[in-house]
Amino acid sequence: MTAVFAALRVSAFLAWKSIHRGSKGTLALTIMIIALVFVNLVFLPSIISGVVETFNAQSIDFNLGNLVIEPREGSQYIGNATDLQQTVERIPGIVGTSARITAGVTYFYRGRNAASTLYGITPEDERSVTKIADYMTEGEFLSNGDTDAIVMGATLAGVEGEEAGGLPSLRGVGVGDSVEVAYPNGETRTYRVKGIFKTQSFGVDTAAFVTSREMNEVLGLQDQASVILVKTEVNGREEEYKMELLSYGIQEEIRTFQEKAGGFVDQAIQSFNIINAISTLVSLIIAVVVVFIVIFINTVNRRRQIGILKAIGIDQQIIINSYVLQVLFITAVGALVGMALNAGLTTYLTAYPLVFPGGPVYPVVEAPAVLRSIASLFAVSVVAGYIPAWQIVREDILSAIRG
Amino acid sequence: MIVAENLTRVYTMGKVEVRALGGVSLEVARGEFVGITGASGSGKSTLLHILGLLDRPTFGRVTIDGIDVLALSDRQRTLFRLNRLGYVFQDYALIGELTAIENVYLTSLVRGASKEDYLERSAEILRRVGLGDRMDHRQSELSGGEQQRVAIARALVNNPSILLADEPCANLDSQTSRSILDLFARLNEELDQTIVMVSHEDWHKEYFCRVVTLRDGLIEEMTECGRGPHPGGEA
Repeated sequence: MTAVFAALRVSAFLAWKSIHRGSKGTLALTIMIIALVFVNLVFLPSIISGVVETFNAQSIDFNLGNLVIEPREGSQYIGNATDLQQTVERIPGIVGTSARITAGVTYFYRGRNAASTLYGITPEDERSVTKIADYMTEGEFLSNGDTDAIVMGATLAGVEGEEAGGLPSLRGVGVGDSVEVAYPNGETRTYRVKGIFKTQSFGVDTAAFVTSREMNEVLGLQDQASVILVKTEVNGREEEYKMELLSYGIQEEIRTFQEKAGGFVDQAIQSFNIINAISTLVSLIIAVVVVFIVIFINTVNRRRQIGILKAIGIDQQIIINSYVLQVLFITAVGALVGMALNAGLTTYLTAYPLVFPGGPVYPVVEAPAVLRSIASLFAVSVVAGYIPAWQIVREDILSAIRG
Repeated sequence: MIVAENLTRVYTMGKVEVRALGGVSLEVARGEFVGITGASGSGKSTLLHILGLLDRPTFGRVTIDGIDVLALSDRQRTLFRLNRLGYVFQDYALIGELTAIENVYLTSLVRGASKEDYLERSAEILRRVGLGDRMDHRQSELSGGEQQRVAIARALVNNPSILLADEPCANLDSQTSRSILDLFARLNEELDQTIVMVSHEDWHKEYFCRVVTLRDGLIEEMTECGRGPHPGGEA
């Protein structure tokens, strides 16, 4: 047996006896603190990841699709929208397109009014790009032939007697009700509410949709679109698809949904990351302080024992390593308990998500973040355990034995 | 063999210097059972601490089996204590979290002994000191005499060339003390174990081959006792 292995065996023996026969209350409390530090290290990054994922999903599924084709510079609309849609849909990897006409309108209902956005769409095309039709809470989504029907977001429809916190709301529109819409060109139309949808994306839930056929007639447009939304087969490869579309000679502006968002989320993520860095630092300092105090008190209380061990011929590195192994054990169990707590928290927040303006945020626990947290926790714990053990072990034998 | 030459130990307490040893020279031959006696504060324990490599003299030289132990590094001194010396403290100095047998085999673990070997050897020594039925008891479950026997077993487990004992009977009643001294005498006679023991009890002298009496940090008297075989048994 090598000397190194023999030394490690003695360190492990002393560490285990100390853990096994030491104070169970102190051990449990220390493990719990480490577990909570671990939860803190993992939780905030998981919420940030959740925010990013929610934003991406909401943008793609309800707002923008993967890519957005916009009019050429200086133009208000895309001309020959149908031809362009057909061209795009022929490109491999494109699963659908939806041409939208956008208008800022004012809605009137029972003496109340709200200014918001109205989209003109081809319902079947819209279904191939967004999931709004799947999120109807009342009534039905539009059909291609509808002309006097409108579907409305839940926030815009509102609830009788309830304010919408500054958001546009008609406070109590229901399916079958009639709503008057004043277009920017001065035209006014009355539509029957065919359905109400709720996506939890506030930009979508404050808007309404009519068919393009209806809006073309009101605005006097023909085969024109404010934007064409493009849905791709795979998420996350928007830049590649954008290049692909450009290679087909499309002259209109093409932007990914991230570009369209204009850095809003990037700024939010940067702010979150600063908060996360501060939180991580504080958590690790707490871990260092706790481990340091626990090992310091432990070693001070065992000064005499440490002196005896040295006197009978136990190398001081073996004694130091026994404390480091205790710290490793506490940290490992603490991390495991922390993972269990985090799993419970994640399960709870998946069932009852945090509600952000962009929609519900589910925590996304990513393996690299967990591994990073475990590694940093182990690193600081080992250092915090080593230093007090090293300090006490250096004391001369007789002083230590006399306590 | 231990050869101590001109050992001097001066402690500094603030501005006051205390001379615990004032130049002690001593030789202990292999197989000797030497008693170091003297009044409280005469330097007995200080001398034993230096011989046991637990302390360093201010001046002087110590060789054990021809090795200049004061020239060794801290790590080498630790190894020397592990492999060559057995030390019995006045207050037992057991590790409270360990059972009797764990206290005994701890140093065998460091030496890399196999589990079978160290368990067998530790159990055998504990049986020899009369603790065959107390091996799995922890310190708090043992009497003072039993704790001291565990400490002796721990000191002997690695077959040390020298056993150093610092007033091992100080906290024990006379009957238990006699049984401990009988044990030392047997070890000395049967295994030719070199023993250096500090004591302040006159009646202990009957067990020693030689008595070194210290006074104010100097050797006052050195007496050959000429102890016969197993004198404790005759008492």
